[in-house]
Amino acid sequence: MADPKRPRAPFAPWDRRELPGSFTVEETARRVGHYKWIEMRLFEALGGWVATVPELDVKLRLGTHCYHHAWHADLWHKRLPELREMDPDRLTVPPNDELVAFVDRLTEPEAPELTIEKLVGVYRVLLPAKIAAYTYHLNNTSRITDAPTIRYLGFILQDEIEDWRDGEMLLQSLIETEEELRRAVDRQAELQALLLAAGGIAGPGSIGEPYVSEEEQHA
Amino acid sequence: MRKTLPVEDLARDERFVRVPFTARMDDPRSARREEAPGKGRRGPGRLTPERPDAPDAARSLMHGIFMGEIQALEGAGRTCWDFEVGKGTGEGTPEVPFELKLDMARQCWDEARHCEISAKLSEHMGTEIGEFAENTFLYEAACNPDPVLRLTGVNRALEGLAIDVFNTMREFGEIAGDPVLEFCEDWMLADEVTHVKMGSDWLRRLTADDKARQQRALEFQRVVDKLFSLGGFRGDEEDSPVRLARRFRELAGFEDEEMETLAEVAREARAELEARVEANRAAVQG
Repeated sequence: MADPKRPRAPFAPWDRRELPGSFTVEETARRVGHYKWIEMRLFEALGGWVATVPELDVKLRLGTHCYHHAWHADLWHKRLPELREMDPDRLTVPPNDELVAFVDRLTEPEAPELTIEKLVGVYRVLLPAKIAAYTYHLNNTSRITDAPTIRYLGFILQDEIEDWRDGEMLLQSLIETEEELRRAVDRQAELQALLLAAGGIAGPGSIGEPYVSEEEQHA
Repeated sequence: MRKTLPVEDLARDERFVRVPFTARMDDPRSARREEAPGKGRRGPGRLTPERPDAPDAARSLMHGIFMGEIQALEGAGRTCWDFEVGKGTGEGTPEVPFELKLDMARQCWDEARHCEISAKLSEHMGTEIGEFAENTFLYEAACNPDPVLRLTGVNRALEGLAIDVFNTMREFGEIAGDPVLEFCEDWMLADEVTHVKMGSDWLRRLTADDKARQQRALEFQRVVDKLFSLGGFRGDEEDSPVRLARRFRELAGFEDEEMETLAEVAREARAELEARVEANRAAVQG
């Protein structure tokens, strides 16, 4: 056995975590508040839709996914005071009015024959945007200073990816005709345009600043 | 999507058939059903494997549980959507605390699992979706515009009934030698104790400074309890098909006095049903 008194580095040779990260405490809290806001809107809508969809398998999956997003909202709610925001409601806000418009449109369908429209909004537009924003955050925050956020992001992303797959498979099983395919595509385009205007679930910069080439930078 | 979805708009596929509770009770044929040869005895009776109609009764009860789970899922989901986030302590104010919504979302997940378990168990017991009619009184209790009354009616009265039903089915599975049924009901029973406790805790928290609202909520619970006693189907008598599961209700926050009241409500409901059946019998014979 090695000499226990022999000095060792605080980071093992294979531990490549670095300082600093891309986000300050304030910026992290701002993003986390936006995350909580969108998770809340999503779990509320999924809960409300359960009674409006006639397809039994969809009904049950929405009930399950409703809880996943409520749990995410709770995790973000608990993270806010750890980021010096003692009034979590203050930062539980949308990043801009455009995201509110997106959510209003997303949650509009109610009629039982609109299951495709409901699912497309969640599983082909919102969840991919959440996965993108969360992944950007995960890859750019400090793995040392912001480890609690990273831990939450890991749990949350696992749910998001599995729920996205569930929803996508349900959609593929529901879309049987060209007309239904057109409905799905139109709905996706409509909502995608609204989300584009919002800049993503955390507003502009949700997945980083726009790409600028070196030539543009020096122009 | 609207706030508060009326019961008529609950979405179902073509297999489901709804029969209003009152229509079932007022149906003169209920008198003939009570005297059907396979039923073995008149009036309610404890569900045991010896009863000649035990397989049918158990399958019917299982189907009823499945329908109840769907509506419980829908009701909890609507509570996530119907109310804004706030303190929730105002009289009739359509707002609830954030944590209450989280509890309702958790309940959605639990009820979705119960639907899955019930669907599998229905198949296991030889029935299929739509074989029996659906009545929607459960969801109707979940439409109360006051969140405190809604939670008291659904989580304390309805989920309380679920405790009694699951305990009965669990015991039936045990004495009938059906370990699958016993296993599943025991797991669902654990969840229901949690749901009833949620109702008890939120009732206490949201009405701590408003005793009048608390009384209204408990009165609503009594009304729902009486309806859910289903004419003595659930009660504290030796021959009640579904007996009060006092031990589990205690875990869920029920006081002894409340359980005595519930037993009395069930006795009243049974007496009323017997009177109604007698009237139906007279109508058929007349």
